[in-house]
Amino acid sequence: MVDATEFRTRVTKILSQDYQIEFLGGNFDKIVNFITETKAGKIYAWISEVINENIQPIIISSKKSYKKWKMNQLLVFRYPLNINNIEYRVLLVKVKNSIYIEFHLGSHKYYDKVRKDFDLTRKNC
Amino acid sequence: MIIYNPHNQKILEKRLPLIKSIFENIKAKHVFITGSFINQEKYKDIDIFVISRRKKITHFHIPHINITIMDFNDLHSLFYHSLCKSCISKNILPTKSLKVTLSDYWRVINEAVPTILNQKTTYQKEVRFLLLYTKYFKTGEVLDTFQLNETINRFKTHESVLDYVQKETPRIMNKKAKKSYLKKFFYTQAGFYTEHTRYNAQNFLYNLAHTITRGL
Repeated sequence: MVDATEFRTRVTKILSQDYQIEFLGGNFDKIVNFITETKAGKIYAWISEVINENIQPIIISSKKSYKKWKMNQLLVFRYPLNINNIEYRVLLVKVKNSIYIEFHLGSHKYYDKVRKDFDLTRKNC
Repeated sequence: MIIYNPHNQKILEKRLPLIKSIFENIKAKHVFITGSFINQEKYKDIDIFVISRRKKITHFHIPHINITIMDFNDLHSLFYHSLCKSCISKNILPTKSLKVTLSDYWRVINEAVPTILNQKTTYQKEVRFLLLYTKYFKTGEVLDTFQLNETINRFKTHESVLDYVQKETPRIMNKKAKKSYLKKFFYTQAGFYTEHTRYNAQNFLYNLAHTITRGL
């Protein structure tokens, strides 16, 4: 099982940027502790694929503001993760042609909440 | 206990006592169960939906159970209208008018296309909403869980799903909306994708948005 601090360090190192990415999600550390070394390795490999532009992003077609940016400047990369038959999602959020700002890890319910925050779905859709 | 089964699907009757005990265990008026647990032996996971204003529902530990809490506003959604068509419910389920727009449909497409292309062999779960919305806007029919599973199984590859979207979406949009609206909405959408067309998903969406504006 993976240590949460070590996991954050590895992700930060792979992204290799000056900006400090935020790690977000309900029970982040607890979920990371359930991840096996093999699954963590797959997540690290997936991040490298995102950097190499081999993973398709979801574009947010909204002009609303999100922190310091407009939502339509953001690219969301999504990775489905299954741990002991429970579905989780990793979301990596990038500012277009620029930095990675957020790394989310959470349950399906958490993912639905983030989708609403990013205007990817209507509140009652 | 009420069984909503408009298409007379086979139901695993031996699971009914367990479903009844789950309903008794969950302290809420509107509780219902849907999905493959109702009719397929090999499925052990139990998808329970509770309609409540509360954020958390207390219940005793039940193995393999996934509880989703729906707000009363969710009852307007296509998702709820699909779920409640074929299900087993503790009481008569409340109904509210369906509120779904073409812009909601495009949001679904926008999210589904990259996801399908990222999960070329495991796309089946990810196309549920896409096919539900497409069928609804094409025919006006809300597919229930069983019909949706059948529809998904008809597509053998991820390419066939994308071909279907490419063929049906422009027709649907042009049938359902005014040309002036389509031009305004989809030129704006295409603008969001234009800088990202090096990605296959955004290239697909960019071309689809343009096809819609051309009225094909």
